[in-house]
Amino acid sequence: MKKLLYVLSLLLIASMVLTACGGGQPPATEPPAETQPPAETEPPAETEPPAADKVQLRWFVGLGTGTDPAQLPAQEKAVADFNADHPDIELVLEVVPFDSARDTLATQIAAGAGPDIVGPVGWGGSNAFYGQWLDMTPYIESSGFDTSVYDPALIDFYQTEEGQVGLPFLVFPAAIYYVPSMFDEAGLAYPPKAYGDKYTLDGEEVDWNWETFTEVAKRLTVDTNGANATDDGFDPAQMVQVGYANQWQTHVAYQAAYVSGSADIVSGDAPGSYESAMPDSWKSANQLVYDGMWGDQPFMATGPLAAAPEFGNGNLFNSGKAAMAMTPLWYTCCLDAFRDAGFEFDAGALPVGADGQPHGRVDADTIRIWKGTPNPEAAFAALSYLIGPEGTQTLVVGSDEVAAAYSGLPANPEFQQSYIDGLLERYPFTTAETWDVFKAGLAYPDNPSAEQWQPNWNEAWARQQTFFDLLQNTPPDQLDFDAEWQKLVDDLNAIYAK
Amino acid sequence: MFEQLSNFRNSLPSLKSFRSLTPLGRRELRQGMWFLSPWIFGFLAFTLIPIIATFFFTFINLKITDGIASTPKWVGFDNYVDLWNDNQAGVNPKTWFQGGTPGALWVTLAFGLIALPVGIFVPLGIAVLMNNKHLKGPNFFRSMFYMPFIVPFVAAVFLWGGMLNSQTGWINRFLVEVLNMSKDSVPLWANSGAGEWGWIYATYTIMGIWGIGNAMLIFIAGLQNVPTELYDAAKVDGANGWQTFWKVTFPMISPVIFYNLTLSIVGLFQYFLVPLVVNQGTGRPGGFTMFYNLYLYRNFFLFQNMSYGATLAWVLFVLILAVTILLFWSAKYWVYYAGESHS
Repeated sequence: MKKLLYVLSLLLIASMVLTACGGGQPPATEPPAETQPPAETEPPAETEPPAADKVQLRWFVGLGTGTDPAQLPAQEKAVADFNADHPDIELVLEVVPFDSARDTLATQIAAGAGPDIVGPVGWGGSNAFYGQWLDMTPYIESSGFDTSVYDPALIDFYQTEEGQVGLPFLVFPAAIYYVPSMFDEAGLAYPPKAYGDKYTLDGEEVDWNWETFTEVAKRLTVDTNGANATDDGFDPAQMVQVGYANQWQTHVAYQAAYVSGSADIVSGDAPGSYESAMPDSWKSANQLVYDGMWGDQPFMATGPLAAAPEFGNGNLFNSGKAAMAMTPLWYTCCLDAFRDAGFEFDAGALPVGADGQPHGRVDADTIRIWKGTPNPEAAFAALSYLIGPEGTQTLVVGSDEVAAAYSGLPANPEFQQSYIDGLLERYPFTTAETWDVFKAGLAYPDNPSAEQWQPNWNEAWARQQTFFDLLQNTPPDQLDFDAEWQKLVDDLNAIYAK
Repeated sequence: MFEQLSNFRNSLPSLKSFRSLTPLGRRELRQGMWFLSPWIFGFLAFTLIPIIATFFFTFINLKITDGIASTPKWVGFDNYVDLWNDNQAGVNPKTWFQGGTPGALWVTLAFGLIALPVGIFVPLGIAVLMNNKHLKGPNFFRSMFYMPFIVPFVAAVFLWGGMLNSQTGWINRFLVEVLNMSKDSVPLWANSGAGEWGWIYATYTIMGIWGIGNAMLIFIAGLQNVPTELYDAAKVDGANGWQTFWKVTFPMISPVIFYNLTLSIVGLFQYFLVPLVVNQGTGRPGGFTMFYNLYLYRNFFLFQNMSYGATLAWVLFVLILAVTILLFWSAKYWVYYAGESHS
């Protein structure tokens, strides 16, 4: 019995140690995976593809969109079509619930058993796995993949210090969503539809910049007595409508990207040398937003107000209590209640910053290849199929047989009109000009992305989010903005140094 | 407690007793083990091995996001040293309020000083009232006080969050519009600044009172088990109401108080849900809502720093164990078990 217990204990400890340390994965500096010795990366015999000459690929879905049951048929059709066209490759779809996808992928990669391709995934999800994505440059060149169909700015978007880690697939340019009836009621002109156009305020043509924007937003902010934020006697504690909602763009970097433009968030090129590089203009941008919430003439909802049920529990523009919202195209996901309540929206160009240039944001989802894949060429073939014309048709445009899986503007202009037609049908009060504003926003991506990589990304991102949460929820008599900003910088430096 | 443990140990079968089993007994044992094997497997796979694994993690630098590019290395006690020096965790009292943050352990203990007495004495007080012979319709009141406990706690927290919303909540509206308090003088509740952290803990405590129905019920059961002849004797001796409560009721229900106190202290160290929902788990303002368990959660699941999260978890376990042992040790001075022999 004693011996049995001894052996059992040893087995337990050994299994634990092996689980914890098992699975060597490629170091961040390792060359593309095709140079890896096949013996280390080949799947075990029992998971060999059914046919000896078939390469089996795993497509991991879950870090972003794609996990809803309604999205499965189109994804399964894309897989079936690809497999039919490629008899030498078998693509297998793996859908993991969003809530557990990060942990699942991290565990798989840590065990050296990561999937071949991953996506759709945005910058945030990708940065959580920084260093794990394959530089596709050699495969783009060897396969002759046509990148000329894309806006060069979008190709550059995925060019990082690790190489070309992605190709454009779905893009979500930002614009101003606004409620025309609220502008009519306030006697204000609508925001301009074209970048560079002037705005007419009090009969005069003025630049559509942040100064003008905040003035308009103040006049659109109304209390229970019908007074707007610029009127004497306006009661900020009794607001029933706000001029501007930073709809789900509640992060230091998002607001800075809109107001003052994107910038490198961190300096340094090696552990130990990293430091926060947030420019002073970012501090000013966040101060502007803070004043918009807590200033004498507020035009935004504070945290408590935005969280109130009558203000949509955070989905503020959808509640019909905000005249303008600045957010990417994906927000069309969440405006059905707004439409069904009889509201209408239109879109306007983003204001220009202090440097006279418009500063936009472009969120983007794409599919990536795991650096440790034993079959990079086959993985690139699958990826280029999924984000190429055939995949885009099935996954984004859809057909009469199978509805589209993803909602986003295809980066390939050939398919953009089909997507826009769907939006026109969904929101019949909009016009082609409405969506042209978004398309024009593609020329103003936040490059580097507001969601750019930082050392210790998860913790650094959370710290910045905490700062913005503090701004939203703390009145000026209880917050020293300068001190809190400095604390943010100090904390970030400490996080980068970990 | 040590007596109980000793009794428990003596009641366990010895190896010798296994050896002396008859063939029938051995067969029955085998069959019994066979039927138990799913549970044993589940226990090993999902409880014991993960527990051992997390202990092992505390000695390596496993971080499954940024760290996945490299194999975890053995770091010895580095994680424990880091935790000792981590002012956000606050395990070392000397780090409290360093870097402008009180420290998660300080937050947990400070909140406990407010929430624990309330969490024990309010349900006890209500239970005493519910047990009063002059109360009309006691079952109705008991049901009413218990009913909130049935509501899922997350739903209750959202509900209270709406009621205590500093700008739109009806409590502040009542204070301003009915009681004519000035808008600047009403509390901001969970949105209070770092200088008014007491209001935040008060808000959390109020939300906690919502769920005292279960503790109240346990106290009522304890009160109803107090022999009535003791009250009769106290009455004959001329004891007043307070003396009767303090000299008769309290000692007799002290095991129930002890039970509730133990659970409350364990619950305090695991406090998590309310700050996560109400203050978005950010620690706002200034770290005053960064409870120890919340900090642990963020390290494990947000930052995916498995080794540091595991270290926090093991230190939490040791803290709870130490406090529980202290509590059990103190029991001999204030907990009275009727019929228990004292040497």
